[in-house]
Amino acid sequence: MLEGKLVRLRSLEPSDVEREYAWANDLEVTHYLSMRYPFSRADEESWLRGGPPNSFNQVRLGIETKAGLHIGNIGLYTANAEERHAELWILIGDKAYWSKGYGADAIVTLLRFAFHDMNLNRVYLYAQEANARAIACYRTCGFVEEGRLRQHRFRHGRYWDVLFMGVLRDEFDALHGGPS
Amino acid sequence: MLDGQLVRLRAIEPGDRERAHAWLDDPEVTYYLTMRYPLASADPMWLADAQPASFANGVYLAVETKDGTHIGAINLHELNPEDRKAGLGIIIGDKACWSNGYGLDAIATLLRFAFHEMNLHRVWLSVLAGHEAAIRCYEKCGFRHESRRRQQVFKHGRYWDVLIMSILRDEFDAPHVAPSPERGT
Amino acid sequence: MLEGKLVRLRAQEMGDLERDHAWINDREVTRYLAARYPISLVDEERWLSGRPPSSGSNGLRLAIDTKDGRHIGNIDLLPGNPDDRCVALGVMVGDKEYWSRGYGTDAMITLLRFGFSQMNLNRIWLHVFEHNERAIACYKKCGFQVEGRLRHHRYQEGRYSDVIEMGVLRDEFAASHGLAAPKEGGP
Repeated sequence: MLEGKLVRLRSLEPSDVEREYAWANDLEVTHYLSMRYPFSRADEESWLRGGPPNSFNQVRLGIETKAGLHIGNIGLYTANAEERHAELWILIGDKAYWSKGYGADAIVTLLRFAFHDMNLNRVYLYAQEANARAIACYRTCGFVEEGRLRQHRFRHGRYWDVLFMGVLRDEFDALHGGPS
Repeated sequence: MLDGQLVRLRAIEPGDRERAHAWLDDPEVTYYLTMRYPLASADPMWLADAQPASFANGVYLAVETKDGTHIGAINLHELNPEDRKAGLGIIIGDKACWSNGYGLDAIATLLRFAFHEMNLHRVWLSVLAGHEAAIRCYEKCGFRHESRRRQQVFKHGRYWDVLIMSILRDEFDAPHVAPSPERGT
Repeated sequence: MLEGKLVRLRAQEMGDLERDHAWINDREVTRYLAARYPISLVDEERWLSGRPPSSGSNGLRLAIDTKDGRHIGNIDLLPGNPDDRCVALGVMVGDKEYWSRGYGTDAMITLLRFGFSQMNLNRIWLHVFEHNERAIACYKKCGFQVEGRLRHHRYQEGRYSDVIEMGVLRDEFAASHGLAAPKEGGP
């Protein structure tokens, strides 16, 4: 369990399946994401059960409010031991919690874990160019735009650019505080 | 292939098995090693069975002289990505090559790879107290004494202490510990 | 069942799952343990059910119960090498109400006595993080001596820290604590 200010990050459980199913099939939630096909409950269940335990190779966590409401998921994958970087992804499925700082708090909490406990040096992510809300949030967390992958995603009838954003350990510490 | 001054470190090949087995069957070679039971030539042995080198699999390499003679093997095991540390193990099986700086050069070469290519922070090793030649060699490579596990291993009718030694990235980079085979052993 | 003065050590049961899961996800508890990542209930269950029965070669994984039956932590002997008669020990008091009250020490002494007098071990050793002063004091009370310090062996909370190695030999333990089990309700 990782404690943030507004949220807690905890392991995902098979009992999360109904929420996962609803979010994965909510077109508003997946609008800017690469998820485009309808998902079955069985797909979601196998996603929840299929993963190995959290480790350096893959971290997948549920985002809970302090009151215990599961509002989304966050994770790191393709962590590279030599380069010491990993890719971050996040999804706030419960739309009532959009634009209220929960996503940013979840990201900062996971970044602190990535830098201070996993000993990573860099975390990066991909953001669809039109996802202004998310891009603003990533900037708040310390991510800077490093590149623009032109026409990297096809959705909703056209190509979209994807922003490549990254944050370094030193930058994170300067912005959010280093080890106490 | 990692190039040192006296040796090369290359991937392990199936053809290494016969020599590896002969070394591990030689009580003089294994006197200070923790292995104790006789090994059949087909038994698993790290000197002959390596997976492709990676952070997850570990790095297990054959040591050969510059003229291509296979004289031993060296490894990084128990790699930990968060702590950025690994254990180091080495066997120079060809006794004609003992005390000639080959082991030292192999270790220096692998340490450079560990720190500068794999981005490790710490490399540690364990050695039986009493294995003086090895301990001196590790000291020359820049390893520092850290721990003495009392009576950790039983061999040759008695308990032996095991020493833990380590070197950190900064220490390896400091010029005064940079080992060179010209300095002997 | 191993009887101590304050605690009993018993085999772990599936009924311990919820508590184990809560403890292993409590960062206050795990800052002193090797565990680093959040662990799901299913993974904890898989781990608990896949564990072989206790023996010298499988290792021991025991629950620590107070005398009134409250499960407060776990204690392990890791699988060891029978030739060397030497094993590593791990302990966790997960219920924070029972920290610093002698329960951990009693569990340790009880398991050490079992290791030396029933399993015929010669040496038991452990790793402890340098900042875990409470535990180091406890281990010294149990007879462990500091044998070394592994520099920067652990990365945690944004920095490298050292790991202390401690060990106790059978003769030392016999001299300081005795190998015979204390009488029921003893001192």
